[in-house]
Amino acid sequence: MAVKQCPLKIFRPKKLTTHAIELGHQRIFILPTNRGLNFALLIVLLLLIAFVYNNNLVYLLAFLLGSIFFITILHSFQSLSGLVIQIGAAQSVYAGEAVGFDFYLHNPSKYMRPSLQIKLRQDEANNNVLTAEKTIQLPAKTKICTRVYSMTNTRGWHACEPLILASNYPLGLFRAWSVSYFDLKALIYPTPSLEKLPFPVNSGDQEPLGKLPVAGTDDFYGLKEYQAGDAIRRIHWKAYAKGQGLYSKQYDNEAIGNELWLSYAATTASNSEQRLSQLCRWLIEADTTGLEYGFEIAELRLEPSSGSEHLRQCLHALAVF
Amino acid sequence: MTALSVNPKILIFLFSAIGLITLPHVANLPIPIFAFFSALFIWRFGCIWQPKLLAPKKLLFLLTLSSFGLLFSQYQSILGRDAGTSFFILALGLKLMEINSERDLYLITYLAFIVAGSQFLYQQSILMGVYSLFVCIVLIATLVIINTPKPNTVTALKKSGSIMLQALPMTVILFVLFPRLEAPRWMIFQESSQSLTGLSEQLEPGAISKLGLSDELVFRVKFKGEIPPPKQRYWRGPVYGHTDGKRWNITRHQSVVAKHQAKLDFSGSGYEYKLMMEPQTKNWVFALDMPNKFPATLRQISTYQLVSMKNSQQRAEYQLSSNVNYNTGYLTKTEFKLNTQLPVRDPSVKIRQLIQQLGANKSNPEVFIKNLLNHFRTEKFHYTLTPPLMGARPIETFLFEQRRGFCSHYATAFVYLMRVAGIPARVVGGYQGGKINPVGGFLEVRQANAHAWTEVWIENQGWVRFDPTAAIAPERIEQGVNIEQQIAAGSANFSSINIDNSALSLLKNANMLLQSMDYSWQRWVINYNTSNQNRFLDSLGIGDLRSLFFWMLGLIAVVTIVLALILFPAYKIKQDPILRLYLRFCKKLSKVKLIRQPHETASAFAQRAIIELPAQQVQIQQITELYLTLRYSNKTELQTFKQLKQHVQQFKIQSK
Repeated sequence: MAVKQCPLKIFRPKKLTTHAIELGHQRIFILPTNRGLNFALLIVLLLLIAFVYNNNLVYLLAFLLGSIFFITILHSFQSLSGLVIQIGAAQSVYAGEAVGFDFYLHNPSKYMRPSLQIKLRQDEANNNVLTAEKTIQLPAKTKICTRVYSMTNTRGWHACEPLILASNYPLGLFRAWSVSYFDLKALIYPTPSLEKLPFPVNSGDQEPLGKLPVAGTDDFYGLKEYQAGDAIRRIHWKAYAKGQGLYSKQYDNEAIGNELWLSYAATTASNSEQRLSQLCRWLIEADTTGLEYGFEIAELRLEPSSGSEHLRQCLHALAVF
Repeated sequence: MTALSVNPKILIFLFSAIGLITLPHVANLPIPIFAFFSALFIWRFGCIWQPKLLAPKKLLFLLTLSSFGLLFSQYQSILGRDAGTSFFILALGLKLMEINSERDLYLITYLAFIVAGSQFLYQQSILMGVYSLFVCIVLIATLVIINTPKPNTVTALKKSGSIMLQALPMTVILFVLFPRLEAPRWMIFQESSQSLTGLSEQLEPGAISKLGLSDELVFRVKFKGEIPPPKQRYWRGPVYGHTDGKRWNITRHQSVVAKHQAKLDFSGSGYEYKLMMEPQTKNWVFALDMPNKFPATLRQISTYQLVSMKNSQQRAEYQLSSNVNYNTGYLTKTEFKLNTQLPVRDPSVKIRQLIQQLGANKSNPEVFIKNLLNHFRTEKFHYTLTPPLMGARPIETFLFEQRRGFCSHYATAFVYLMRVAGIPARVVGGYQGGKINPVGGFLEVRQANAHAWTEVWIENQGWVRFDPTAAIAPERIEQGVNIEQQIAAGSANFSSINIDNSALSLLKNANMLLQSMDYSWQRWVINYNTSNQNRFLDSLGIGDLRSLFFWMLGLIAVVTIVLALILFPAYKIKQDPILRLYLRFCKKLSKVKLIRQPHETASAFAQRAIIELPAQQVQIQQITELYLTLRYSNKTELQTFKQLKQHVQQFKIQSK
């Protein structure tokens, strides 16, 4: 059975795309701004003066402004037409933060776009400095990458809102805008809990964990060759500065100490979101201190490791839980 | 008072535009108002660099109050040209003091446009037009700058100039086609400064530096029999008999009319005609030369002028009869005294010498008249609608120094010299000529036909008409009003000794060109009114409002399309021929919903395609391989390219 479609195209749900979008006359809308409407009022006033005084030069001025008003529509269209928008990467952030989406703007034409406003469609409540529209300049035959932000509230996949590219150029009398619907998603991690709780003790033995390694103390165990994924703060910068190559510092407790396991089961909060939030905080703390940790949630079990990739995997699991 | 958010560059730009636009008003507005505005302007301009000096809210309120006080002390109203202009200037000045947001900048720019428009209520010269156009470019550039994140003066001016240039064709279309309706009378405010051709209560030729030509219709005449030749078409108006040396006033002394009528002696056959007067402000009725019979609604006064006793503000029709051959008979003592009246100041030696030289003789005025007309013809006298100002002794300045003027200059100088010689003479105003409308078969007389000539009293002949302008510019009399156009265009030359100095000819030509431009400006821009427009549109075959509307829309559409073609050239990104072939292949595949994703490589896409179309595995692989070789390997040969081309062309999706 065919899905009943709305007869008017603009009210149908928009098709999302990952392809590049070129702005043409089907995608650009133009309407006068408040200033434009006032400008029309000015023209009417001038026409009235011309009529009352039967003055042809005032008529001429009114007609000139009228023509300028009309021609500005074409110029407004010109300020957007031909631009090509492509999606770029999406950042991952913690819920409650603004997530950045990268877009590539390509101006293949021979003329510059002096003023473009770009933003994601946001609810009123989500308007802030980051999500506010950004004004950029796009010289002829250039491609730039720009990042626009969207406010997040919940963890999980956050679909990118429709991208609004607009321009008031050249006179601010008309606003030309175009809404692009891209299939672009960002993964939002749970908000880390505000409450600081000690790491859970290992399920095997009851020894508390929480001893933090400090570089340059007795716990320092040795150096090992750097491997991708090793925490940046463990890199032995002194050696690197001497040109001896990249080495990671290794600490005593991690080589011989108990394994740290961060698991959903180990959290104590009353509901699942708070538990995830707690887990998230632990992950971040463990990563900042450079500990190796294992991770366990539902069916997923990640062997103890450290580094940004490990953290990302863990957070990903939290986000989609 | 945070005006700092606004870019100082924008402010400097805006202030220069406003300074330019208000500057010419210095001549039009009362000094206190302009001074008040200038003070505000300079104060605010200084604040661009010294924001601490900005007026606080309380002071601003006081300034607003005082400006209202100033306005009402000058005008007691905001209606009317002067008061309205002052109002907008003061509003502009006050708004300048309070720039907090972009919105304010827009309001100021809009006010500046109104002030620019008000400028034209005072001056409509071509120079003013060009000047205002320039200021408009700056004002529009201000808007461009406001809307550009990184303002650049030159770019903004260029953009604004190009917008202006693109707007011009449409402006012209609107100007020509936009219907000019005349404002109802209650809406028209009194305007006195414009000097258009037409008749007034007094003549002061020395004080007019520019005579505009108005195409406004004054009356139409339908002759019963033959139409008099152009030379005879003098439509009699008021007589200017009294002078103070500068001004010539209508003869006040009105003696008994019946006596004058009684001594009139007509001879020859007369002309019978119907005179259709357009609405007038004065009750003058312009009969041909000397009216013989006229209806009872008209009255003749002692100078033989006809006046209506009814409301002249409506169209009126009169059945008249006139003679061109007549004798007005003797002159009474009072009349003689009236028509030899001279200003208090005695005529200068120069004047007396001139009279002597031209053979002034009370008893034989005709010789003197002939010599004088000859003097105008042979000396370097010019006929012009843009004469220089004549100063304190206009007649002498005209006769001995400037020698440039229009009909009133010649007529007044002529009468003055006659009177100095003791010969009774007077200036007669009215219309001369008229154009025959071939369709209606009637004569149309327009304001531009307004004329001044003279009458000299000669023994046994009575008042005899002499037209000194005819001596200077015979075409003006013989060919009617179109001669003005020729004068302006430089094709008519009224001085016989004019073509000598070749070194000056270039300068002269330039001058002629300027005059011709000015004439066209006057005729096609300033005086393009209802009747002009109707005639012009009729000649184009645009009769009614409906077709006018369609013409306007059509022309604007054409202009828009042309402009769009210029603005958006159909540019194509030049594609690599190899890529083009491959895209063609992809397009063929897209018919079976096989669409290459942007992240998909050619080989990945081929693999996916093969799964869908296993029958065509070989072809797909071949094309993909050839494409990859051509595009990425360093050994590209024409042969391979041809192969790829062939394969792509032959590729066809076989249905499963």
